[in-house]
Amino acid sequence: MSTIAEATARGQTRRRMRIDGWRWAGRIFLLFMLLYTAVPMIWMLITSIKSGFAATQFPPQWWPDEPTLASYQKLLDPQNSVGQDFLRFFWNSLFVSTVTTILSVIVAVPAAYAFSRFTFPGRNFLFFAVLLRNMFPAVIFLVPLFILMRAIGLVNTHGSLILTYLTFGLPLAIWLLKGFYDNIPVQLEQAARIDGATRFQAFIMIVMPLSTPGIIATAIYSFIGAWNEYIYAYTFLSKNEQLTLPVGIQRFFSENTTDFPGLMAASFMMSVPVVVLFLVLQRYFVRALTEGAVKH
Amino acid sequence: MTRIMLGSAVLRGTVVGILTTSLMSTSALGAPPVDLSKWSPEYVRSIAGTQDFDTAGDCAKVTPLDYKGRLTFWYQGVFEGDPDLLRQYYKDFFETFRKTYPNIQLEEQALTYNDLLDKFRTALLGNAAPMAVRLQILGGTEFASKGYLQPLKPEDVGYSTEDFWPGAMKAVTWDGVTYGVPTNNETMAFIWNADIFKRAGLDPDKAPATWDDVVKYSKQIHDKLGIAGYGLVARKNAGNTPYRFMPQLWAYGGGVFDEATANPTYKEVELDSPQSKAALQASYDMYVRDKSVPVSALTNQQADNQPLFVAGQLGMMVSHPSDYNVMLDLQAKATGTDKEKAQTVIDNMRYGLIPTGPDGKRAVVFGGSNIHILKPEYVEGGKVDEPAAKAMICMWASPEWSLKMAYAGSNPGNLNGFKTKWMKERLEHIKFLDVTTSMLPYGIPFPALPESPEIMNIIVPDMLQNALTGAMTVDQAADDAAKKVKDLMGGL
Repeated sequence: MSTIAEATARGQTRRRMRIDGWRWAGRIFLLFMLLYTAVPMIWMLITSIKSGFAATQFPPQWWPDEPTLASYQKLLDPQNSVGQDFLRFFWNSLFVSTVTTILSVIVAVPAAYAFSRFTFPGRNFLFFAVLLRNMFPAVIFLVPLFILMRAIGLVNTHGSLILTYLTFGLPLAIWLLKGFYDNIPVQLEQAARIDGATRFQAFIMIVMPLSTPGIIATAIYSFIGAWNEYIYAYTFLSKNEQLTLPVGIQRFFSENTTDFPGLMAASFMMSVPVVVLFLVLQRYFVRALTEGAVKH
Repeated sequence: MTRIMLGSAVLRGTVVGILTTSLMSTSALGAPPVDLSKWSPEYVRSIAGTQDFDTAGDCAKVTPLDYKGRLTFWYQGVFEGDPDLLRQYYKDFFETFRKTYPNIQLEEQALTYNDLLDKFRTALLGNAAPMAVRLQILGGTEFASKGYLQPLKPEDVGYSTEDFWPGAMKAVTWDGVTYGVPTNNETMAFIWNADIFKRAGLDPDKAPATWDDVVKYSKQIHDKLGIAGYGLVARKNAGNTPYRFMPQLWAYGGGVFDEATANPTYKEVELDSPQSKAALQASYDMYVRDKSVPVSALTNQQADNQPLFVAGQLGMMVSHPSDYNVMLDLQAKATGTDKEKAQTVIDNMRYGLIPTGPDGKRAVVFGGSNIHILKPEYVEGGKVDEPAAKAMICMWASPEWSLKMAYAGSNPGNLNGFKTKWMKERLEHIKFLDVTTSMLPYGIPFPALPESPEIMNIIVPDMLQNALTGAMTVDQAADDAAKKVKDLMGGL
């Protein structure tokens, strides 16, 4: 009896050790991933508080001997030309990204709903057609879109970027939202209709509140895409007062030199809105991505 | 290196005469405002500060100062990493232009060196180019040959063709027609860290005499100190690469064509010559055999060499006098012990002539920039305000501003700039300026061909990368590059 009990206990221990081994391997992997993603951010922050000379020292100063906020002061001072430019670029990026996000949601929500709920000729074809653009690298559309924007008089306007970002961001936004709508039981809308609601009212009062996580996820996705985009902004805009941040921070690179602390401070400040947005809304984002993937 | 040594080095150079002739040769050589045959640090000092110029008065003859108009203008700008001094001069220039021509609405846009050509090409495709553009020396013929530029010669903006370096005028001439005005011209020099030389057992005050010495010194520095010896750069589509490799190629007697000769015809491709292969072999030896250059050389440009040099991790590099000013700025902004360390780097910085090839041939790229006016059909709005454009060009290319805008890193495109009081002041304040001005007579312009940007920015770096990565042998890489140039010139 005791032999059986001992054998069982040994088996359980071995199993627990196996489980613990995998768990520890997972933890180590996650720690590695955390370092992999966090170290560049930390290094960016540390470099941004160094002087130009300290930033180039080898071996590197892991923590600056003489920390300075000079780069941040320069960027945030509206009295000097660097600060004026940076704040203008920041505002431009915020404007373009916000408008893109709002329009993206306004278009993607009804489009995704239509794909989810209605049957109409060419539905499948259209649904896959919206993804067609995403099957090609963005850069091959650069010159054709530039010529198109030129023809419609949008070169050197933020409208050219908003239109382009919508074109690129909408396909995935529609796919993301459609998956979400597919998971909302149609019976809920039918019940609302029986209670006297119109289809539009059922959509606004029943479907929209239930799809809030999906809409927020779509908004985050659109915002981040527009906020970080470089090549189209670089091509379509050539006036200093209109540049967005990804293009604007190029000014820290010269032919023969780079202002590393300035570049890092600008990059850090550029990442702040996205990080804050994601931290605040991440639970919606994760929920949308997972719920859209499971059929109830 | 003393000025006397530099002066005699200039006079001694056996090939200088040929190269100087190349730079000076124009179809109708008039009387330049300075005597180029006497070019030496002493001569430059003797003419500095000998003449005054009235910029506004001169430009008023081209475009009246009360002219009302609008100008869109793109240029390779100066940015945060550039010397403070230079950034201030750029700021002063645009302020002065606006004061001098208060009724011209100027919309200027600064672009970075590596982006300007690509962005300009895209804008031209959409007929959305600016009215005037200042391009690097390599760009003029490409756009002139495609019909984008209006004919424009120095006489159109109040100057004489002889007021500019003949080599620079060649770079803005296509099919016998002049399409631009040079703003600045420069040659680089060889920079080394005296302390690193000393610690590696080399003479701290003597630059390597030949490129073969550079290979040897680089290995010695790497072997003894474990740091990179020479700052080789091989990045693709970055102007820094040809500016640093072509002097080596020419010194060994090679070339893309015969651009290093007095009267180049650009007919025969010479990238696959034994001399060109020897130059490529030298780079291969440093990168692959000795591993004595930065491992990141394949993607490096000068902006990547500079931090290594500042950190004492690089012994030698080819660059402008502005590197010294950048160091001064870094030192001025450093605090505490960093300030002292930065001063040590500055104290150990040395400038010398670029090394020669095995046969004593010394060469350097004759670089610079030019301003051009676009044809109306390629410009946003379909109109070019020529008087406004000429006012801007007159001012930028004036003796005063062509010098001030090149204060720390280049030289005035307008030779009269060397006579101004600012040149005298510059010689007193910009250390090592003597060395880089001494290199001017050794300068070789890039081939004045529309294909030059493709050859210099893509094919030549590709050749280097193919050899250095082992994708091809040195012979194969040189042959491959020569074939690509032939195909390109043949219209393939």
